[in-house]
Amino acid sequence: MNIPKQPLSHKILKYTLTSVIIFASLWSAAGLEITIERIIDAPRQIGILVGAMFPLDTSQEAFDRIIPKVFESLFIAWAGTVIGAIFSFPVSFLAAHNVAVGAVSRITKQILNAIRAFPELILAFVFLPITGLGAFTGTLALGIHSIGTLGKLSSEVIEGIDEGPLEAIKSSGGSKINELIFGVIPQVMPTITSYWLYRFEINLRASAVLGVIGAGGVGQELINQLRFRDFPRAGTVLICTIVLVLIADAISASIRNRIIKGKVVKS
Amino acid sequence: MTNIPKKPPPSYLVTIGIPFAILFTLFSFQRVGFNIQDFTENLANRAIVTDPLFNPKWSWAWENTADALVETVQIAILASIVGCAFALPLSFYASRATNLNKYSYFLYKSFLNLVRTIPDLFWAMLFTVAVGIGPFAGVLALIMFSLAIMGKLLSETIDSIDPGPMEAAKATGSTHNQTVFTSALPQVLPNFTAYFLYIFELCIRASVILGLVGAGGVGRIIETQRIFLRFDRISPIIVIILVVVILIEQFSVWIRKRIL
Repeated sequence: MNIPKQPLSHKILKYTLTSVIIFASLWSAAGLEITIERIIDAPRQIGILVGAMFPLDTSQEAFDRIIPKVFESLFIAWAGTVIGAIFSFPVSFLAAHNVAVGAVSRITKQILNAIRAFPELILAFVFLPITGLGAFTGTLALGIHSIGTLGKLSSEVIEGIDEGPLEAIKSSGGSKINELIFGVIPQVMPTITSYWLYRFEINLRASAVLGVIGAGGVGQELINQLRFRDFPRAGTVLICTIVLVLIADAISASIRNRIIKGKVVKS
Repeated sequence: MTNIPKKPPPSYLVTIGIPFAILFTLFSFQRVGFNIQDFTENLANRAIVTDPLFNPKWSWAWENTADALVETVQIAILASIVGCAFALPLSFYASRATNLNKYSYFLYKSFLNLVRTIPDLFWAMLFTVAVGIGPFAGVLALIMFSLAIMGKLLSETIDSIDPGPMEAAKATGSTHNQTVFTSALPQVLPNFTAYFLYIFELCIRASVILGLVGAGGVGRIIETQRIFLRFDRISPIIVIILVVVILIEQFSVWIRKRIL
């Protein structure tokens, strides 16, 4: 039987890629001084840590401390997302090349790129001397970063719209503003709203982390308990965070689904 | 006059959801201590950070951060390769299209979701406690991080593959594993490569902050300089990382155009 042979260029590509990947991993592992013994020993050490967390600290005092912190993370994430959504919405129109003039769109896009370049934690450093240690700092850091990411995503949605409705409005004598309100916004709103919710899910994880530098949220609690070697309580913090994120994710995902796919008609 | 059809009544999502969202927003702002007055009063304090931040000390950065930057890149390379390698088989088990067993599908899917709930820096904290301070903890943390993202992206891609080739393979009498290997895997390999590059980029970004909790990389330097408010030494690091990320982005755009 004649089976066509794989072309030679394919084979060469395959072997180069494989060797690049293997070489890069070995080079990295050697540079980081990761030895076989450490890899073999790691599961045991992780097991010890997990074992130390159980039984979890379920005392009333622990929950009194942890639950408000967990909710603080939730509030930080939500408030940050709202700030991002409110400011990124008008900005995204300025950044879309099919709505704004070429120069304006290019400049706005560059500004959004510049904002996105700063990680949330670095932004939090900037806000710490202004707003002090606490949740407000984390909110602002998340908010500013979200303006960058949401602005970029939303402007891309606006750039991908169907021009038909705009033409229809123009031909019936609508102004440029009418075009935006009746042509662009109804088309982009579902996708943009779902991006807002998606950003909220990301921000929830980010806000949990911000506590590490004192910008509010549950991260502070976890790092403190780990530093004091209070592993049962650290486990409780971890479980509470996981539960909150799972619930928030599930709600947000179901709303996103409903927005994008529309109402499920029961037949 | 023409008959204009009545506007359908708004759904519950709108009538209940929007007022609830607004209330929740107000409540959140109140709870995080949103205070525009304090903010404007203390705005001058930003100089403590922003003045040095915009006066980068390049010479210091060149001399002192090279090793840590290389370490950051090494952490990202190793973690993204290992994480994605683990995620590849897991994603096939976590997809309805390739895993016919409802229960094991659910199990794998939940496992990936669980890993995804824990933020990257939490993993880093846990691993620094478990295996000690240093880049090894950072690698383990980012392995979990890339495993979770790749698992989600890839398993959803597998969910939406074209069932035609799989049916064809099945019709020739191949076993389930053979079907998956010959018909499902080749369909998602281009996506896998594209996701891998994306995850590598995310890992580079993430490995910058790992050092804050002692998990190696350039974040270690950021943390020590931050304590002394030497932001003039931090900003070159941010710029260098940014350049690296942009280069990777350009490279992955180029690759994606070729393979997708």
